Amino acid sequence: MGDAMLLRAKGVHKTYRLGRVDVPVLAGVDLEVREGEWLAIVGSSGSGKSTLLHLLGGLDRVDKNSGPIEFLGEDLRGFTPARENRYRNRDVGFVFQFYHLLPELTVLENAMIPALVGISRLRYARERKAITERAMELLEDFGLAHRLKHRSSELSGGERQRVAIARALINRPRVLLADEPTGNLDVKTGHGILDLIAGRHGAGTTVVMVTHDAAIAARASRQVLLTDGKAS
Amino acid sequence: MYAPLLANRYLTSRVIPFIAVGAVAMCVALVIIVVSVMSGFLNMVRETGRSQIGDVVVTHDVVGIPFYQEFIAHLEALPEVAAASPVIETFGLLQMPYGVAGGKRVETVQVWGIDPVSFDKTTGYQKTLYWKYPSEARRAELHEEDPRLSPLYDGLADAMAMQKLATGEDGVVLGIEISPFNQRMRDGTYRTEDPLSGEQSRAYWMPATEGVTLTLVPVSDRGSLQAEKKHQFRIVNEFESGVYQIDAQRVLISLEAAQRMLRLDSAPIVSRTEVDADGRPKVLGQSAARATTILVKSNEQCTALQLKYAVEKAYVSFVEKIGPDRAIAERLPGHIDVRTWEERLKDLIGPVEKERELMRTLFSIIYLVCAGLVLSIFWAIVAEKTRDIGILRAIGASRAGVLWIFLRYGLFIGLVGSTVGIGVAALVVSRINDIHGALGIPAPMWLKIAVMLVALAAIVMSVRSILRNRALATVLWGFGSIGLMGIAVLLWFHQGFQIWDPSVYYFSKIPSDLDMFTAVTTALGGVVFSVIGAAVPAAKAADTDPVRSLRYE
Ligand SMILES: Nc1ncnc2c1ncn2[C@@H]1O[C@H](COP(=O)(O)OP(=O)(O)OP(=O)(O)O)[C@@H](O)[C@H]1O
Ligand SMILES: [Mg+2]
Repeated sequence: MGDAMLLRAKGVHKTYRLGRVDVPVLAGVDLEVREGEWLAIVGSSGSGKSTLLHLLGGLDRVDKNSGPIEFLGEDLRGFTPARENRYRNRDVGFVFQFYHLLPELTVLENAMIPALVGISRLRYARERKAITERAMELLEDFGLAHRLKHRSSELSGGERQRVAIARALINRPRVLLADEPTGNLDVKTGHGILDLIAGRHGAGTTVVMVTHDAAIAARASRQVLLTDGKAS
Repeated sequence: MYAPLLANRYLTSRVIPFIAVGAVAMCVALVIIVVSVMSGFLNMVRETGRSQIGDVVVTHDVVGIPFYQEFIAHLEALPEVAAASPVIETFGLLQMPYGVAGGKRVETVQVWGIDPVSFDKTTGYQKTLYWKYPSEARRAELHEEDPRLSPLYDGLADAMAMQKLATGEDGVVLGIEISPFNQRMRDGTYRTEDPLSGEQSRAYWMPATEGVTLTLVPVSDRGSLQAEKKHQFRIVNEFESGVYQIDAQRVLISLEAAQRMLRLDSAPIVSRTEVDADGRPKVLGQSAARATTILVKSNEQCTALQLKYAVEKAYVSFVEKIGPDRAIAERLPGHIDVRTWEERLKDLIGPVEKERELMRTLFSIIYLVCAGLVLSIFWAIVAEKTRDIGILRAIGASRAGVLWIFLRYGLFIGLVGSTVGIGVAALVVSRINDIHGALGIPAPMWLKIAVMLVALAAIVMSVRSILRNRALATVLWGFGSIGLMGIAVLLWFHQGFQIWDPSVYYFSKIPSDLDMFTAVTTALGGVVFSVIGAAVPAAKAADTDPVRSLRYE
């Protein structure tokens, strides 16, 4: 755990087209994420925090004239589809503001699913037990041991977010990207979630977290403010 | 490795897949049933025509073909030929045993002189004879008032001998639609009804009536009419060919009787100039008897067309065999007209083929509608899963992996739906006459009352739902009770609908053979369209950036 550069954005531009109008959201964002740190991206609503996080997670593409986003020095724009899938699956773990669990699956299955993606039937047969155990361990850590067989629709918002974090961590990613992980939760539940993240960070996971709440951002090791499409 | 898990979950944790299976099954069954019944009907029309005249018809009109027995023997020696039968075709006037105001009615009829035994072998004559004591199995099917259940109505032996065996009189067999007293029932059987009382009466049964007079006009080989010939016949039976035009026009007499009346029988040839010792014209020889037509039936292996060529060749070799002298003396025609049954029955089959074309068009439209239905169902199901696809792509699932989930999904629903559809179609088609029969009679009282009670219960439930402020229950029970009420009213007043009325349509039964080709292609289509319907929207969603799929809640 040194301070190796994990993620770097250099002059990143992102423009959305709304009808005929171009809406620039990010206009030259520079950002560096070092291994082992806990970075909070703050900014007012609509400042482009989610947009930036999606770009870092490889879920969206930067503009044509934009600078690069690099993961361990590798430009995300140069990814093949297979590499892109592996990046989303193994290198980063993404937590959405609105949980986005699969409603037909149980809590346990939801937490396991990234581990099932991209492995063969053979490997699945071999690793099934290990994967299940890892998912159960995570969920137990998060206080969901009694919920394993439930559907996500039967959970509270806080419980759902914990399942989502377990899902993001199942493949032991290099970096956890969390978009307002406490945004829809009351203060107490929110701090419970932050404690969880803090625990993971303490165990060595790099965390990039988006929030518009100064109190929550204060728990991170470093803060970046996003205003007018630029980071400072 | 997540594809089976998700595909199974999508299939088992929702109602929609069941609806989709039902829809696919309905579409597949609908197409199979419609096509099977329609093409069965058209085939029946065709085959009925064929069974009237065998596969190939040889004719030499008016003067006829001499040495026809030898020619038939020559033909039957061919490997292609199963049987052949001589016929004399002509027209005549039939004075019926009934009439108005003391007079007798006279019908213009098409007269066929036949040899019953060989005619049966080539055309299935015996099967078409209507008045015969039915077999045990058939007796069980017949309506209890069917006159044929009485041995008094048996005319089989007489018809096969073409004479009233009891008296030795010459027999005639009428097409069953000729007599106005033969009333066709809804089940396709006939009663001989007394026109005044409407009761079944043996007095109006044609074979029980007194004799009829048939008038034929012989034509000389130069085409001039000769003095008409009248002869007394007894009606010995009636036949039902299944083709209305035939059953309303044709009468059958024996070949010998026809030959005698038309002067086509064997007769002495006399000299015009020389006389015998006793002063009569000198007899030069016997002329050969003639038949105007020879019906030929092929064995199973060869087609009508192959048989036609074989018969044409056989005639040439037959003329050689007979020898040029005899052939000239008997004016054996140098050329005879050989036609397949299809060529001969063009006017009957032409419209059938047109209908087949029409049916294919309609069928394509039905097929397209069903395909569209299946496509749109899957489209709706998968569109609802766009968010899930976004999530899967966001956690690193490949496009192909996501697609595979929905391919499995569509394949499974398509296979199950098509299988169920084939099963339903097979069941409906095989029982179509029973189903139709059940629809044809008024509903039983218990059913009327049961449906009425269920409808009332549904009304009570919908009122209860209104009082309890349950919107969904109110809607479901409300529409349910309206539907049930409608069915109840329909059942109450309905006297039985006859979609296929055998007293109008000429076949007494709806064809009930499953068209295997259609069944297989339709089921295949069901699977293919299910897979396409599932795959296209899934592929579209898989191509979308996950952020866009996830952005809208
Ligand atoms: N797919 C899109 N199409 C068009 N405009 C978009 C799209 N995604 C984001 N935007 C716009 O970009 C801007 C930034 O959006 P973003 O979601 O990144 O803001 P945010 O900082 O996360 O806000 P919040 O704190 O409310 O979540 C907004 O004005 C939004 O309307
Ligand atoms: Mg946001």
